[in-house]
Amino acid sequence: MSARDQILAALTRHPAPPVEPARPESRPEMPANPWSVLEERLAQNGGRLVHSHSGAWIDSVKWPCEFAELTHVYVAKNVPESSPTPPASQLSPTAHLSTLTSRGVGATAKAMRDLEPLEVTVLYADFAVAENGAVWHVPASALERTAALLAEHLIVLVPASSLVATLHHAYERIALAETRFGWFLSGPSKTADIEQSLVLGAHGPRTMQLVALES
Amino acid sequence: MGHVDRAREFVRDESRTKWHDESLWFVRAKRDDAADTVPDWEALRDEAATIKRDALSRLPDLWRQFETAATEAGAVVHWARDAEEHNQIVLDLLEERGFRRVVKSKSMLTEECGLNPFLEARGIEIIDTDLGERIVQLRNEPPSHIVMPAIHLKRSEVGKLFEKEMGAPVGLDDPDALTALARKDLRKRFIAAEAGITGVNFAVAETGSFVVVTNEGNADLGTALPSLHIACVGLEKIIPAPSDLAPFLRLLARSATGQPISAYTSHFRGPREAEDIGSPAPAMHIVIVDNGRSDLLAQPSFRDALACIRCGACLNTCPVYRRSGGHSYGTTIPGPIGSVLEPSRDPKAHAELPHACTLCGSCTNVCPVRVPLHHQLLTWRAHLAEGGHHPTRRRVAFGLAGRLFAHPRAYEILTKAGRRVARRLPTAWLDRLTSPWTEARTLPPIPARSFREQMRARARQATKGPR
Amino acid sequence: MRVALFVPCYVDQLRPQIGLATLDFLTAAGFEVDFQEEVICCGQPFLTAGETKRAAALGARFVDAFQHVDAIVTPSGSCAATLRRHLESLVAAPAAASVAAKTFELCEFITKESACPPLSRPFPHRVGLHASCHGLRELGLGTPTETRAATRIDPARELLSRIPELEITSLDRRDECCGFGGTFSVEEAAVSTRMGLDRLEDHGRGGAEIVTSTDVSCLLHLEGLSRRRTLPFEIFHIAEILAASALGHDLRASAEPR
Repeated sequence: MSARDQILAALTRHPAPPVEPARPESRPEMPANPWSVLEERLAQNGGRLVHSHSGAWIDSVKWPCEFAELTHVYVAKNVPESSPTPPASQLSPTAHLSTLTSRGVGATAKAMRDLEPLEVTVLYADFAVAENGAVWHVPASALERTAALLAEHLIVLVPASSLVATLHHAYERIALAETRFGWFLSGPSKTADIEQSLVLGAHGPRTMQLVALES
Repeated sequence: MGHVDRAREFVRDESRTKWHDESLWFVRAKRDDAADTVPDWEALRDEAATIKRDALSRLPDLWRQFETAATEAGAVVHWARDAEEHNQIVLDLLEERGFRRVVKSKSMLTEECGLNPFLEARGIEIIDTDLGERIVQLRNEPPSHIVMPAIHLKRSEVGKLFEKEMGAPVGLDDPDALTALARKDLRKRFIAAEAGITGVNFAVAETGSFVVVTNEGNADLGTALPSLHIACVGLEKIIPAPSDLAPFLRLLARSATGQPISAYTSHFRGPREAEDIGSPAPAMHIVIVDNGRSDLLAQPSFRDALACIRCGACLNTCPVYRRSGGHSYGTTIPGPIGSVLEPSRDPKAHAELPHACTLCGSCTNVCPVRVPLHHQLLTWRAHLAEGGHHPTRRRVAFGLAGRLFAHPRAYEILTKAGRRVARRLPTAWLDRLTSPWTEARTLPPIPARSFREQMRARARQATKGPR
Repeated sequence: MRVALFVPCYVDQLRPQIGLATLDFLTAAGFEVDFQEEVICCGQPFLTAGETKRAAALGARFVDAFQHVDAIVTPSGSCAATLRRHLESLVAAPAAASVAAKTFELCEFITKESACPPLSRPFPHRVGLHASCHGLRELGLGTPTETRAATRIDPARELLSRIPELEITSLDRRDECCGFGGTFSVEEAAVSTRMGLDRLEDHGRGGAEIVTSTDVSCLLHLEGLSRRRTLPFEIFHIAEILAASALGHDLRASAEPR
């Protein structure tokens, strides 16, 4: 008998008694101030929430250096177009998304290992979850997944209208059977493995900004 | 040497014991705060507990369903009866491809199976990529906690280790700087890795998906780059449907570290997309491991422990674990859940673990899936005593006491004589006679008359007149 | 109402004054109290040592002795918890379930019956209340810090708070185990000691002069540690404090000198 059949037989020999899962009648509803709940929970995970109007997010986020000096950037294809709003912008007036993508090493990388070094990765997520400050993101490719991990700084855009209250609501929106890879992201890569001391940037991004896009 | 001796050794260092206790209590307190933010916390525990028990009642069906769905998604499913089979399957997968460089994210299952030493002995470099795991790997010791593997170490000890292993400057003990060094070292290894091994937090029967949760992103980095992803999963990790993930993921990080969710909650279904031109085609292999789990399922008193989601909350709250350290247990999984699981593997070797517990019940109360841990530990004591695994001195002592308590006359005579002797003995002698109780405690003054005697005296007085 | 007083062996032998205080307090509360000399032990030490058969034999004696009384009251939360939670599974006799259900810890019983005599004498002391794990987590006397279920009344705290001039001191860790744990206290003496000392330190930080509890075993452990290190604590069982306030019992005179 194969290992498989032996294991299945062993499990069949001594089944645990049937149990009906205790499903609650209701789930927690959207809090009155969902974005401030999300902001607080995201901050607990070391992330930062930014509100922005779609088309102006470049202006709203913090860049690690002068925008014009960025050289290694990955911008996901589904990220909406944006230009800084002159004249208030601290950014170069010529800066806009196309200047990012044209410079982005990620956009032209043939192999994932070529992504290094990567300063910033910008992703576009499906929706956000108020109760834990997470966003659901399905990378378009393994390259995009890698870019999200190798970058020093991560920026994730999400439509403000897409907020759900809890993970229960989140899974109603996810078609897991059709998802090769998808993840909830909340905050940067982090560790507290040395004396419980929180360190951001364990392996991946050191910062994570979540941008709620108002249309 | 058992838990008693190792724990005694641990508490000898008073300041370290205090530090260890407070580090873990801090995590327990964060867990409490996180639970406060969830209005339906107890209902969620009920739901998660019953989903797991439902799953445990139909494991064969769920795993068959998983196998079909995962295979459709392009994964290859393997079955391993025990640790040896598991290790061999992993080795074969690597050797078939001539792979020599492997990165692994935290997995208690591979720890249980002894995968690292097995692969290393066969010339394969296997690198633990979780920072805490990496630290204990470099120290050549097991994790002392299932979620925080290096919780027993001080920053200065990590500094010394990194001095030797990563060329850290002498005296460096800043966690940021130490982590940065490890990051740099591990980044190279991620880039160079040919295969990535992960554990599995939850396997979803309906879709053949599985979920891996990390804060560092190491499971993702370790599987995004290499072409081969090997996921090792214990039989207890299956849940029926995607919507079942919600209660567990709402409970897991909050119970484990007090976070609202971990930084990365990744859902895998089949191998990753082909990307690198000229690289080997991506492949995903899932190894389903029994290694004693079907035996545990056959034991009605203990099968609930298979519901465990390895959050570590029972360790953090356990007053004994906090003051004796994970290594004092001498097992892969320490603390209350370990003391429930390990005796089922080897009752003789671990017969004393269920006694490394005061039965305070705090573990049972924090458990997100309501494993009745302290009652299971109590039940283990009975099983192990019946199995002849308890020391003779305990059996004899309790045999005598049991008989005494069933014979009030004998009890009366013996205790009266005992008290009379005790009242006359010098304290030092009495202490020696009643050690180890008096090792650190001084007996109260021994009363001349027991409660019973005083009751009789009262009754005599009462017949003479009102008292 | 007739209640049976159950005095476990270590109270009988080492702290008889706790048994007397319990008896007098129950009497003052208006109950007719019987004491059964035949029952010495509820079986708890045997159960926790894994000696189930011996625990069952003692449990059977317990059921036999107490099946016809209205209630059984004991100044030991852990004995009450053992009986309430395990008696039925240990003893086959049909009366086991009803005996288990009518066994109470002293404060629990007084509160349940709303029968507290006037606690009129002031007790001008700062008192640290040690939550016995078995009372708290098995009998549900109070709300453990782990749980988010509906809060439950802690009868001991409730009764103490009625005593004039008694101040209940605070703790950093409200319901951490003291480390007694039955055989644990001798088999794992080193860890047990550390746990107990940590508890006493916590009580010290809160400014407690007196440490009390519903459980005698926890108190014997804490008292032994305190004595060895000549720490500034006095240790009294809650029945002693209740009897002092209700009846004017002299706490310190009740202990017969060595």
